[in-house]
Amino acid sequence: MTARGLMVSLAMVLALAVAGSGMVRADALALGGSAPKATTKMKNVDGKKVSIADVAGQKGTLVIFTCNACPYVKAWQDRIVDLGNSYLSQGVGAIAINSNDPSIVEEDAYDVMKDRAAKAKMGFPYVVDSGSEVAMAFGATRTPEVFLFDAKGQLVYHGTIDDNHKEAEKVTKTYLKDALAAVVEGKAVPLAETKAMGCSIKFKKA
Amino acid sequence: MGRSGRENRGPRRWSGAATLAVALVAAGASSPPRPELRIATAGKLLEEIRRPGAQVVVVNVWATWCLPCREEFPDLVRLHRAYVSRGLRLVLVSADFDDGREEQVRRFLTVQGVDFPSFLKEGDDMEFIEALSPRWTGALPATLVYDSQGALRHFWEGAASYSNMEKNVLDVLERKSSPKEEGS
Repeated sequence: MTARGLMVSLAMVLALAVAGSGMVRADALALGGSAPKATTKMKNVDGKKVSIADVAGQKGTLVIFTCNACPYVKAWQDRIVDLGNSYLSQGVGAIAINSNDPSIVEEDAYDVMKDRAAKAKMGFPYVVDSGSEVAMAFGATRTPEVFLFDAKGQLVYHGTIDDNHKEAEKVTKTYLKDALAAVVEGKAVPLAETKAMGCSIKFKKA
Repeated sequence: MGRSGRENRGPRRWSGAATLAVALVAAGASSPPRPELRIATAGKLLEEIRRPGAQVVVVNVWATWCLPCREEFPDLVRLHRAYVSRGLRLVLVSADFDDGREEQVRRFLTVQGVDFPSFLKEGDDMEFIEALSPRWTGALPATLVYDSQGALRHFWEGAASYSNMEKNVLDVLERKSSPKEEGS
């Protein structure tokens, strides 16, 4: 077996070990639940430590599990950043979390995060979930995957951005935008749970 | 030390097979068959799953750029070869969405030795996901195992080992599990 082949095999064994270890991914956070690991400090692209609680807004809080390498993230990136930035001024805090192990895909490394956040003009923190604990606690499985909490800190929306990752101009259902608007107005979110395909989160080994 | 660069760089097994394919062509051997690609909406895929003739149907949703998908792919092909004579139908559904995806997918399938029709996912994601299984979160890869009646018997997200794939296929072939859907 070549050295690279050995590494691939080792990575698969470690992935299975995570599944069978004490680090167990929770079921996805249920609607009405509060953010787990909300006070866990994570390293932001500016070098400072920040938690979900630190960014909570008066009207709500948007938590986005994302990464650098995933093609779905790249396709949606402009829309994710636009929504996050535009709702900051309306009282919705936001945080983007990278829970991927960069030893699995190098593009998910911290230095690349800094570059991506700067180029995208991300107005909210983009942090490293270094042990994947926050993603595990949320029951997040993929990137991008969003969780939106209302002013009371209760989960009111979980799912995807919209119904067309590939072509923004062909979007017909603006799931996250509608949810954000509802949260700002203190109204019920029209569609609280949505799904889309995404890249599996590359969880860290225990 | 991490794997170099993007998620879309192939594991060793793929590059080894590619080298072999190139060598065969260079040696004058006939080109490997190019698998037929069909567009699959959720409805079309369910028709394929329920089409008579299979004892067990394994659906795998994957993408050429997806690292865990590529890692498990050779085992899926091996599983098909081992059990096709016992009625296994392997339904490979690419979720690639880049322009030019057909060529990317066909090239990958050819290198992997897939010589039967394969599918390109089309249509709304949520409708597609829910049609296959409400338990699927949307993460890739996803594998679903159906019985001869088209009932979902096993489902998992993420790459699986060959032994786990085989265990779930045998479970359906040997009708050991209850008709109710089970996790894996």
